[in-house]
Amino acid sequence: MPKLTIDNQSVEVPDGTNVLEAAKRLGIVIPHFCYHEALGAVGACRLCAMKFEDGPVKGIQMACMVTAQEGMVVSTLDAATVEFRAHVIEWLMMNHPHDCPVCDEGGECQLQDMTVAGGHTLRRYRGLKRTYPNQQLGPFIEHEMNRCIQCYRCARTYQDYCGGEDFGVLGTNQRVYFGRFRDGRLESPFSGNLVDVCPTGVFTDKAFRFKSRYWDLEEAPSVCPHCGLGCATIPGGRYRELQRVRAGSNRQTNGFFICDRGRFGYGHAAHAARPRVPLVDGQEVDWTQALAAARARLDKIIAAHGPRSVALLGSSRAGLEANAQLRSLARLLGTDRVVFAAHAPRDWTARTLAAGLGAQASSLDDVRRSDCLLLIGADPLAEAPLLALAVRQAVRGGARAAIIDPRPVALPCATAHLPLAPWRLGQALAALGDNDWSRFEGQEAVFLEGVHEALAGARHPIVIGGADLLGPAGMRQLLELARRLSREDRPCGAMGVLSGPNSYGAALLAGDGPDFEELSNAMITGEVRALICLESDPLTQAADPAHAGLALARLDLLVALDSLPTKTLGHAQIILPTTVTAEGAGCFVNNEGRMQTFMRVLAPGLPLRETGGGGHPPRLFMADTPGAAPRPAWEILAGLQGRAASLAELRDALAREDVRFAGLTALAAESEGQRVADAGLALPATRVEDYVPRDGELALLVCEALFGSEETAFYSAPLDPVRPEPRLILHERDAGRLGVTPGEQVRLHSAVEEVVLPVEIRADSAPGVAILPRVRGSLVEAFVPGVGPQPCRINREVDHA
Amino acid sequence: MSQILPQEQIDAWKERVTGHAHPMELVVDVLRAIQAHHGWVPDAGVELAAEILGTTPLRVEEIATFYDKIYRRPVGRRVIHVCDSICCWSRGAEEVVGFLRERLGIGFGETSADGCFTLLPSCCLGACGEAPAMMIGLTTHGNLTPARILAILAAESGEAAP
Repeated sequence: MPKLTIDNQSVEVPDGTNVLEAAKRLGIVIPHFCYHEALGAVGACRLCAMKFEDGPVKGIQMACMVTAQEGMVVSTLDAATVEFRAHVIEWLMMNHPHDCPVCDEGGECQLQDMTVAGGHTLRRYRGLKRTYPNQQLGPFIEHEMNRCIQCYRCARTYQDYCGGEDFGVLGTNQRVYFGRFRDGRLESPFSGNLVDVCPTGVFTDKAFRFKSRYWDLEEAPSVCPHCGLGCATIPGGRYRELQRVRAGSNRQTNGFFICDRGRFGYGHAAHAARPRVPLVDGQEVDWTQALAAARARLDKIIAAHGPRSVALLGSSRAGLEANAQLRSLARLLGTDRVVFAAHAPRDWTARTLAAGLGAQASSLDDVRRSDCLLLIGADPLAEAPLLALAVRQAVRGGARAAIIDPRPVALPCATAHLPLAPWRLGQALAALGDNDWSRFEGQEAVFLEGVHEALAGARHPIVIGGADLLGPAGMRQLLELARRLSREDRPCGAMGVLSGPNSYGAALLAGDGPDFEELSNAMITGEVRALICLESDPLTQAADPAHAGLALARLDLLVALDSLPTKTLGHAQIILPTTVTAEGAGCFVNNEGRMQTFMRVLAPGLPLRETGGGGHPPRLFMADTPGAAPRPAWEILAGLQGRAASLAELRDALAREDVRFAGLTALAAESEGQRVADAGLALPATRVEDYVPRDGELALLVCEALFGSEETAFYSAPLDPVRPEPRLILHERDAGRLGVTPGEQVRLHSAVEEVVLPVEIRADSAPGVAILPRVRGSLVEAFVPGVGPQPCRINREVDHA
Repeated sequence: MSQILPQEQIDAWKERVTGHAHPMELVVDVLRAIQAHHGWVPDAGVELAAEILGTTPLRVEEIATFYDKIYRRPVGRRVIHVCDSICCWSRGAEEVVGFLRERLGIGFGETSADGCFTLLPSCCLGACGEAPAMMIGLTTHGNLTPARILAILAAESGEAAP
């Protein structure tokens, strides 16, 4: 812990801290472009110059390149240094166009700030500026190379941090160009980070182009709702429209970056078909009438059939407070039929994780620092994209990463992959725990033995498992493996990949309660007559949507609270519109059990863009805002219990009643969050035998995809251009046996549906498994991931005709 | 692709790359082979090099556009790299450049009408002791005077006749 003096103030910093960071700790912010905490120091922009007056280093130096050492005396105010920085800024500005008025970066431009901070106010250069042609970089990023100051942050982010290989730095000296080989969509799923890291307007958000000035945006710290990792985000809204999302920073979770699904998934808030007014039997009513109608109908059903004829369904999309209010409503109504996930296997897997994770819980930051990772049944880019980036950082730091998965899992870094059929993942986990390879042959045994050796010898090993492929039994085995690999001096971490932003929180509330399968059976038998559905869409989310459809059709009453225009709303007699994540405050518990609160960014309302139809909004005077009826789900559920409540009160009550959530009351948004206290749950009993195909048969495995699978992002227009076409992935051996060529149409016969779609043939998937990534809104929408391998039959379509 | 590089050369390069721990170490050699055969490196040449090396065209383009001896645009049969760096400048490089421009009727980055010469500036040829200097092909010519330049151009254009 060296102690140094900067501008006559002394500061003690951890070993290895650079002087620029040390100054920042004192609140002294010196202009810089190339240095970024996540990218490291390269000393390229020459802007962070400081004068080293005394100590081991002397003279004007780049502060980012100097490690803080004991006894250093540093000045940032020294006249020569200030002049040096002013010249550097003037020189960086030499070629920069004077186009701030038409540049989207204006107002949040680091170059503007630094130019002012550096004291450069008058351009002396009168020569020609260098200019470049721009490239079309796809639907997310706008390119304006003339603004570039060659800080290299974009290339370092895209290639070094994110592992993209289709964007980089071209040319030399005055012709340095940041772009692609040719025009085309940036291939990295983390491309949107270019917008955040570019200190000026070279890369701007195309979907947000010319919509708002930064200072006109309403912003607040939030949590990404598009997977289970809970990355920090800062959404921005204006004119009643959620207009963009940028990355927030949380050192424990995402660090500084987010994925493109999280960045461009915000369009769900402005979906044209979004429920905006309370509806009773299709009639628009006000909130008082809606709540009264819902309550009266529920009471009537309870009077006729008893309290257990009412069931409640929460979701991993709804915040902790809303789900907890659902639980209190159930208690008030006197029913124990409350479930917190529409997908029963996912529900049980999440409950297993929540019950058994304990002290082994690992954060994304732990993953980044790990030296040995095993990913089993997890496809990070599809299920939790930022996990892929975390694995990459670990590998860059020298870690070894092994993947055991039937899918051709691709990560933006070097990994070893063993394609193993889904029904053998459990055997692999058991073998790794028992150090017994007898059930594996040849290469497989060698691979597993190598993984075991690496995990046993590592200093910070972490085992990571995906909920969808492992299921409850596999998740239990994963946690057991982590325990067995742990030693007194060196624990082995564990991480489960869950699907929803609050899957973990929902699982904590579920405890040992029933699951949705039990609930839908009770609906079909008529025991359950009414369902209150909280931000859940069983018709697309349940493990068996067809069964859920039969169940919903039998109900006398469906009360649906939602912010998305789901299929389930079509069955509801009473629709209560809720706010989206950015329109309300709440708390999500991420996949490592970290409670993270988010704040309201903007109030709900029909975007001015819609009411104005592209022109000036209607010149009408009215007291209320169009489309402003949606309310936070917790408020509606409290209303159904006949009380008005504030979020603070609800949090306080929850934290008091349930010790696991102690600390929720004081938990600030924009903090690193806080792990829930020990779950105190018993591990649920697991059942379910996987389907194992006989020789020559194929098993169908439905899984998530990066784009097109996740529920909330599916409703986002900015993501429409990247939604993939459905395809079936076959191993080359199976394709050969079927006589199928790449791209050929095949007919897939399954219990779910019969569909015709093209095949992709791979050598790196598991033989005997046909892999189907789910694409919502397409012909494979009815196929739901997370239900284990299923029997199927595949024919060439030409033979069928 | 045969006009960019003969198939047997492509096969030979692929053979060399196989089992190479760091194929990108060969990128300049592959680009030079394409250039030797084709005269310059077209987009398809960058893509071919990427295919041979098992990387993306962007990774190859990063290198190809960094080096001024890799030509990404059509050039004449001979490329003149004339030094404009400080030692040559102090010994009359501007006059050398002026003479070349006048003689060939072209500016920097241009190719003479007969397709024989392309003129490019170079920051340093490492021939400061013989300044002013220029390089044609792999030959460096120092102590340039108008008379020497004329002789060099005559010899080169004779050799480079189509």
